[in-house]
Amino acid sequence: MKSHKLIIDITVLFVFILLFLPSTALAVQVHGPPEGFIVHLMGHVFFTASLGFLIYILHKYPLDRSPAWTYFKISIFFWLVWNLDTFFVHILSARLPRDAIITGPHLVYSRLKGPFDLERSMYYLGQFDHFLCVPAMYCLAMSLKNFCQRAERAINEEDPKKNIP
Amino acid sequence: MIEYLPLFPVYVVDFIGALLVVVFALIAFFYARRLTILQPKSVLWTYMFWFSMALVALAVSRGVGHTVRFVLLYIGLPGLWKSIAPFSGGLNTITFTSVAVLTFYYSNVRDVIERVKNDAIALYEANLRLQKAQEALRRLNLNLEKMVEERTKELRQSEKKFRGLFEGSKDLIFFCNEQHIIEDINPSGVELLGFKSRTDVIGKPFKEFFRDERQWKMFKEEVSKKGHIKDVEAQLVRPDGSRIDVILTISVMKDENGYIKGCEGIGKDITKMKQVTESLIQSEKMASVGQLAAGVAHEINTPLGIILGYAQLLEEDFEDNPDALESLKIIEKQTKICKRIVGDLLKFSRSSSDSEVADVDINECINEVLAITEHSLNIDRIYLIKNLSQDIPPIKGKKEKLRQVIINLLNNAHHAIGHEGIIGIWTEYDSKTKEIRVIIGDTGEGIPPEIQNKIFDPFFTTKSVGKGTGLGLSVSFGIIKDHGGYIEAQSPPKEKRFRDAGMETVMIIHLPVNKSDNQNG
Repeated sequence: MKSHKLIIDITVLFVFILLFLPSTALAVQVHGPPEGFIVHLMGHVFFTASLGFLIYILHKYPLDRSPAWTYFKISIFFWLVWNLDTFFVHILSARLPRDAIITGPHLVYSRLKGPFDLERSMYYLGQFDHFLCVPAMYCLAMSLKNFCQRAERAINEEDPKKNIP
Repeated sequence: MIEYLPLFPVYVVDFIGALLVVVFALIAFFYARRLTILQPKSVLWTYMFWFSMALVALAVSRGVGHTVRFVLLYIGLPGLWKSIAPFSGGLNTITFTSVAVLTFYYSNVRDVIERVKNDAIALYEANLRLQKAQEALRRLNLNLEKMVEERTKELRQSEKKFRGLFEGSKDLIFFCNEQHIIEDINPSGVELLGFKSRTDVIGKPFKEFFRDERQWKMFKEEVSKKGHIKDVEAQLVRPDGSRIDVILTISVMKDENGYIKGCEGIGKDITKMKQVTESLIQSEKMASVGQLAAGVAHEINTPLGIILGYAQLLEEDFEDNPDALESLKIIEKQTKICKRIVGDLLKFSRSSSDSEVADVDINECINEVLAITEHSLNIDRIYLIKNLSQDIPPIKGKKEKLRQVIINLLNNAHHAIGHEGIIGIWTEYDSKTKEIRVIIGDTGEGIPPEIQNKIFDPFFTTKSVGKGTGLGLSVSFGIIKDHGGYIEAQSPPKEKRFRDAGMETVMIIHLPVNKSDNQNG
């Protein structure tokens, strides 16, 4: 009871200070243009870290070695690589000069201007990120499909009456 | 050196890839959804569903965004795309952040799955153990049932065997409780003790059947002291008063704590055996007496003849002296009595050597004797009941001797009655035993039990001095024995018909038809 009362007292005091000792620094923060970009990059880092963690967990504590889990792990791997790819492409894109991309009257005429050093080449190749995320999503779908078939088999083995064609 | 690279391939791959991602995302969503429907309780499928949902959202958000960008740029509306692009990017950020959060959450899901899996394995193993235990229990039950069945069968057979022994034994078998009350008895025991039903005997104290209570007390003390008695002779008494001689073997029964809970015993009826033994002893005794009598008779007969001769000569000399003549007459009379006794003794000892062996009709023999004796019987108002069977076969024997036996028995009957009474004579033939029975009964006072085993002894008589020599029955016994038979005295008669006829004593002559051929002549 005493600890609860102390918490309430501190909270009341904190609110009191906030109300009677205002300053401009404590007003609503303004989120400028680089913030969204940084947040997005941080999101990619967070996503990459989570996928790395997942791969580590799946590798260390494998549930089984069925095709479903294999597809799942491949999918996670592709997502991880895709994340890294997009992360770097975002950074390279930010570093790209404004005149590096020449747009025409039509998309067909859009071009990337050289010189094609390593950075510019990596940027160009990195743009093809769908070669990573499409297989990633495909493997995820296949993984779930296999899980589904396995679940159906398990149900059919448990109860033959549920074996609906 | 390349100066430009076209971005159109990038856009094409982007556009097609975005569409494919959306398609595969929808397929993944379909299977994830189906999984949750198939196994709604699965934590993994629930996680997979939300994980897929987040990826689908990412794919759709990104795919749609790219497609829209492509379309807007293609139709020449880059300004519009510029205003939409931050939203699309923000949405993308939110979706893959969500996927990341969910991905990190997999560890917890895995823990849950692991725990559930471990619990499931433990449950499965427990079920297996339970099944094994049930199987073992079932086998044990089956085995137990089989064992019980086999044991019951053995017990049943054992029970049947011992029940058969108990029920079928011709000896008395009984069980008593600690108060010596009969609790169970076999049918032979019931019959031996003179009862008709087992229920009549059960519940009776065993001591009731002892003729002599002192003997019972002695038995009881002996059994209590030693725990058993073995082959001890006892005399029991039936409800009708008849006595039976038995050899008893009794053992105490103890419970699991060693306390006496009763006794069990076996009794063998030796009544007949004892009678036969007594007859044998009697026969031996009579044989020895016969030999003695023959010697004595032979030695005395000559002096007696001389005394009698001289007495008669002196009578002639003292015809004038009445006193002396009277004394001599007394000497002559007493000497004649002595001669008769000696003569009887000689007959007893040489009973089988006098007359010729021929076919004898027993009925004819009886009629001849009755013709002589009936007159004297009538004087004493003794009436005759005569039941002579007509199918009596002739026997090989000595007619004179047999006639003498009948005379002796009739005389004894006459003496037993004295005045007024009935003498019954029966003859019958048992074709099974091939035996002729001649029964001579009287309505006299009967033979006291204490002298029943002495009546065939030589010189044993109940008649007053001078009236009987005590050799009649002995001689008769010897004659019948020579004919292969025996004489039996019953007082009172065992057969009801004789008792109903008023007979107190019956003398039964048993004459075997075949054995008569072998009698030494």
